[in-house]
Amino acid sequence: MTTIPLTQPIPNRKPRPRGRTLMWALIAAFIAVNLFPFLWVLVTSFKPGSEIYGAETAFRLIAINPTVGNYRTVIDKGILHSIVNSVIVSGSTTLYVVLVASMSAYIIARCFFRGKVALMSLILGISMFPQMIIVGPIFNMFYQLKLLNSYWVARAYSTITLPSAVWIMVAHFKRIPLSVEEAAKIDGCSQWQTLWKVIFPMAAPGVFTTAIMTFIAAWNEYLLTLTLNSVKDYQTVPVAINALRTQFSILWGEITAATIVVVIPTLAIVLLFQKQIVSGITSGAVKE
Amino acid sequence: MQRRMTWKEFCFILPLLLLVSVFSLYPIVSSFVYTLFDYQTNKQSKNALYTGPVLNASLYAEDCDYLVHYLKKDVETVDASDRATLQTMMDTLAGQHALYADEKSTVTLSGDTGSQIAALIAQTRRTVETLGARYPDLRIVQKAPTLLDEMETCLITGNFVGLSQYGTLFQDTRFGQAVGSTFLFTIISVALELVLGMALALVMDKAIRGIGMVRTTALIPWAIPTAVSALIWCYLYDGTSGIVAALFTRLGIIASPELLLTTQGGTMFAAILADVWKTTPYMALLLLAGLQVIDRGLYESSAIDGAGAVRTFTSITLPLLKPSMLVALLFRTLDAFRVYDLIAVLTKGTPETLSIYAYKMMIGQSNYGYGSVIVVAMFALVALIAFVYVKVLGAELIRE
Repeated sequence: MTTIPLTQPIPNRKPRPRGRTLMWALIAAFIAVNLFPFLWVLVTSFKPGSEIYGAETAFRLIAINPTVGNYRTVIDKGILHSIVNSVIVSGSTTLYVVLVASMSAYIIARCFFRGKVALMSLILGISMFPQMIIVGPIFNMFYQLKLLNSYWVARAYSTITLPSAVWIMVAHFKRIPLSVEEAAKIDGCSQWQTLWKVIFPMAAPGVFTTAIMTFIAAWNEYLLTLTLNSVKDYQTVPVAINALRTQFSILWGEITAATIVVVIPTLAIVLLFQKQIVSGITSGAVKE
Repeated sequence: MQRRMTWKEFCFILPLLLLVSVFSLYPIVSSFVYTLFDYQTNKQSKNALYTGPVLNASLYAEDCDYLVHYLKKDVETVDASDRATLQTMMDTLAGQHALYADEKSTVTLSGDTGSQIAALIAQTRRTVETLGARYPDLRIVQKAPTLLDEMETCLITGNFVGLSQYGTLFQDTRFGQAVGSTFLFTIISVALELVLGMALALVMDKAIRGIGMVRTTALIPWAIPTAVSALIWCYLYDGTSGIVAALFTRLGIIASPELLLTTQGGTMFAAILADVWKTTPYMALLLLAGLQVIDRGLYESSAIDGAGAVRTFTSITLPLLKPSMLVALLFRTLDAFRVYDLIAVLTKGTPETLSIYAYKMMIGQSNYGYGSVIVVAMFALVALIAFVYVKVLGAELIRE
């Protein structure tokens, strides 16, 4: 891309006030629409059942008789256990996926081999195909190996998380200039030393981004856990919270309270690691 | 200079190849194989892939043993003239039991063994019936019919049906409707997400102050599990206590609050709105990243040339954003096309998209054969969409 040389400095023109007001109005509207569902769920979670369903009280912003009873009920029903399950499953998925993805991404970024484009296309293809295609055979596989209702569901998550992890890692490794490796070699580093002491420290931000993205993807997985783990003891957050809906009635008080409880870990991750998340979302998607 | 591949490098990508093979390629190939069989896990004669006749040997041997057990007592009680008939029957069945007793589950039958077993069962049934006329109290007469029925089910003819299930697909109106719903959902959601996401990205590209706040809030709907946010919307849409349903009714968008989650059009509208809410910020972030790599100098020179905001957008922003936009659109389209969590949670399955239909068929009705046919059809449509994006529109995914 070429930059047109400027012969004279351009006065920094500010947008017209009308445009500015419109812009801020848009931003305010966006933030309001984005957050409203959560705020309303928070409001409802403190209402007793009678106020949630009553026509007069259902849309009140503040409960007349606020209660933490809903929270007590869902904690008694084991919502915290499902968070523990989610941490175990997503954590172990993240560990092995990041390890496998960074090893292979390094080779893909650095080495020349036949079938490399085919391999990348395959990985990309896997991230595109409908996940429904693996559900039947994976269920049969887990049934035969007697792994239904266990934390082994994490292994099946590799289908969902590996492709994007490899993709993000390749993008990061390609950004590390080859000259760094050559310099390390000249300074007397062995191949392994170069890898552990030079390349991986430089790739650390990429590894971290990949880990966060993998963790979120695994945390949010619904279809496979729903199919493979029908027993409550092994259900993760997305499945467990939906199991709170009973056949005949929906207790919104409990569901909203449970939602607030399970959303806290996600909110914490977003607030702490938003830079890595944005970089993870956009890497591979932007043509630099 | 790039390194060449040696065994050491190969070891580094081996775990990836193994995981991809076991958890992606093997299941995909299996699904294709399933489509060739009338494979239904809730039916004893169809609960696996049988290309030829098979005998459920363990059950068959067990039944033979029961019959022998009853015959042993009966041989003593019948008249001398019938004793030989029963003795022969007992010997034959004992022979069958001995033959298959050690088999764990099923054995593939070769040649005409299948028809021999069928003939044996029929022969035994006839003999027992003739005996029944004279000795209605014999144990074998009372017990044999049920056992023989069970033995018949042990004899499984193959369930290989070739491509015939694909033919069924074309006559299946429910499949046609699912394709229609899926495309409608995908096209409307992605189009809305593109327009709104673009507006948001342009705003975020301009505003300096407050952008961090916008970015943080944008990430929240994206990061929440779909199954959880769908549940939140399920509450907001609720006919009696949902605030969004009440608001839409007040605004005159819907006639009455319960329509959102009970009618065809209502559920489609509800699902699209929830999807747009969740993924517009994501789309905006992707487009924003594309906008930020556009050279700022181009905007300045277009300002010098006197181009207005619209002209700048159509002549500079859009063409330069096209590559990032196509990639973002491709991923969003495929994502919307396979929508499952959102609809499964929001309405327990309406509008019935392809994923929902396939899941109901496979897991709900245990019909893996036809369910896989639907899934493979989805696979073909996804490939078609990707082809259109890459070859027709020119989305560039892999650069080497």
